[in-house]
Amino acid sequence: MSAPPEKELTVMLVDNEPARAAIVEQAMMDSGYRVIRRLENAKNLTEAVAEFQPDMVIIDIESPDRDMLENMSRLTKDNPRPIVMFAEQDDSKYVEAAIRAGVSAYVVDGVNSGSVKALLQVAIARFREFHALRSELESVKSQLEDRKLIDKAKGLIMKHQKCDEPAAYQALRKLAMDRSQRMTDVARNIISVMELMGGSK
Amino acid sequence: MNTVQSNSLIQQADPIRIGFIPLIDCAPFVIAQEKGFFVDEGVNVVLSKEASWASIRDKVAFNLLDGAHMLSSMPIAASLGIGSIKTAMQTSFTVSHNGNGITIGNFLYDQLQHFADSSLDIRTGVALKRLIDHRGDNVAPLRFAMVYPYSSHNYQLRDWLSRAGINPDKDVQIVVIPPVKMVDNLRRGDIDGYCVGEPWNSLAVEQGVGHMLVTGYEIWGSTPEKVFGVNALWAEQNQAQHLAIIRALDKACAWVDVAENQAELLSILSHPDYLNCTMQQLVYGFGSIKPKGQFDWPMEAFQRFSGSDINKPLPSYALWVMAQMHRWQQLGGVSKLNQLAEQIYRKDLYYKALGLVEDKNAIEWQLPEADEATWLSLVADGEIRLHPEGILKGFERLA
Repeated sequence: MSAPPEKELTVMLVDNEPARAAIVEQAMMDSGYRVIRRLENAKNLTEAVAEFQPDMVIIDIESPDRDMLENMSRLTKDNPRPIVMFAEQDDSKYVEAAIRAGVSAYVVDGVNSGSVKALLQVAIARFREFHALRSELESVKSQLEDRKLIDKAKGLIMKHQKCDEPAAYQALRKLAMDRSQRMTDVARNIISVMELMGGSK
Repeated sequence: MNTVQSNSLIQQADPIRIGFIPLIDCAPFVIAQEKGFFVDEGVNVVLSKEASWASIRDKVAFNLLDGAHMLSSMPIAASLGIGSIKTAMQTSFTVSHNGNGITIGNFLYDQLQHFADSSLDIRTGVALKRLIDHRGDNVAPLRFAMVYPYSSHNYQLRDWLSRAGINPDKDVQIVVIPPVKMVDNLRRGDIDGYCVGEPWNSLAVEQGVGHMLVTGYEIWGSTPEKVFGVNALWAEQNQAQHLAIIRALDKACAWVDVAENQAELLSILSHPDYLNCTMQQLVYGFGSIKPKGQFDWPMEAFQRFSGSDINKPLPSYALWVMAQMHRWQQLGGVSKLNQLAEQIYRKDLYYKALGLVEDKNAIEWQLPEADEATWLSLVADGEIRLHPEGILKGFERLA
C-alpha cells in the first residue's frame, strides 16, 4: 500500500475510449486519487470544468476538444492550465513522456507538483498498456488474415498444379524469396490472378 | 539509375514529420505529398493528421513533429511562451491568406432586424451593439465562438466587435469550439455566432442555419492565415531539408490556385486520410461561388495560396499579431518587438530557398524600440489599423 497523497487531488478524466478511461480510473483509485468525473465525450466540457473545478484534467492528446480547455485557462487563474506550462526546462522529461504516451493534462495553479507527477505517471502507464494491448490485438488479427490468405493461395496452387500441400507451400515460399516479397503479398497476387482467370471456382 | 539513387537516399534519411489540421488550407501540404513535390525536392515527408492546435504546438515543442501547418500566430505565441512552455519556433513560408468569416444564427439575425435601419447596420455590428444595450445586464450574455485563443479568428472577431463599440470581454462571452462542430452548435442554439474558416460559414448559410455577416478580408484586408511553422532548433540543424520543403510547398501553392486543378484537388482533399468529407462540402472553400445569403455585397472571403507576395513571411504581420496579443492582454511585458518579429518570421530563408534576390531598396516597415509602447497602445485603441487592402500595404493611422 503506497502512502496516501498529501492532499486529495481531484481529477477529471476525458476520454472517448471508454475501455481505456475505465482502466485509467481504476488505476487512479487504486493509487488513492479521486476521479470526480469521467466524461466520454466533450459535450459541455467547459461547463463541467467550471462546475466541478477539478485540480487536474486528464485528456487524450488526440481529442479535438483540447483547444476549448486552452481558452478556459486563459480566462481565469482558477481554471486548469496546460501541463506544458509547468514543464521547467530541466524537468520536462515527464511532460515529454506524457505527450509520447498520448496523455495531455491541465493543472490548476498551486497544486503540489509531486502529486501531479505521480498521477501523471499512473495515467502514462495505463495509456501505454492500453496502446500495447491494442497493437497486439491488431497484430493477432492481421496474422489470422495472413494465414487465411496463404491457405487460400495454397489451395489454388494444389488444384492448379495438382500437387500436395508441402509442394504448394514450397512454391509459394520460393516465389516470395525470388521476388523478396512477403508471403502474404505473394498469396494475395496469386489469388487475384487466379480469380481473374476464373480459376478460383 | 538516377531515380534509384535518389530514392535510396530518401529512404535512408529519417522522414520529416509534418503535422496538419484537416482544414481546407492544409491543401498545399497534402498536394505537395500527393503530387510528389516533396519527393521531387529530395525530401521524405510523413504527414500526420492532428486533432487540435494544442496538439500541434505540444508535438512540435517536444520534437514529435518537426514542423506543421500552423495558425500564423502560433510560432509567435510559442516563441514568446504565451499559453505554453517557451519554445523557439519560426516560419519562413506563408501558406495562405484569408478564408475566415463571421456568421450569426437565425434567431439573433431576426432580432437584429428590429435594431437596424439598413443591412449595413447588421454588417458593421451597429445593430448588435444596440441589441446588447437594450438587453441590459440581467440576461446571460450572447455567446460567440472562435477556434483558438491565439488565432486570427479570435482577433478578427474581437476587432469587429470593438469597432461597433462592443467590449469583447464584458458585453459578450467568447468560447472556443473546434471548426467541425461550429454549425451544429449554432443550430442547437448553444452559441449565437462564430468566426471560423471556410467552408463552415458557407455551409451554415446553405443549410439555413445562419447568416454570414462579414469576411475576415473585409475586416483586415489580405492577411496571412496559415504558415509552415517549424521548431527553430530543427530548422537550424536541417537547413537543406527545411529549404527543400519550402520549395515543394511553393510549387504546391501555385498548383492549388490553378482553376483546372480544382476537381482533382477536391477529390484528394476529401479522402479519409485528409478532410474525410464529401467533395460538395469543399466547393465553397475554393470557388468564387457562395450560397445566396440575405445580402448581395461581394464576398471576398476566398483563400489565396499564391501570387503577389502571398507566401513571403512578413515581419510586419508578426508585429501586428503581437499588437493584437497586447490588445487582448496576452502579451505581457515583451520588448524589442521588431527584432523578435524578424527572428520568428524569417524572410531571409524564404529568399534563400527559392533563389530569389531580396530587393534591398524596398522600404520595409520597422518598429523602433523607442516607439513600441506608443504604437501598441494606438493599435489597442483602434487608432492604428491595417491598410484596407491588407498587410502588404502596411498600416494606417485613423485621422
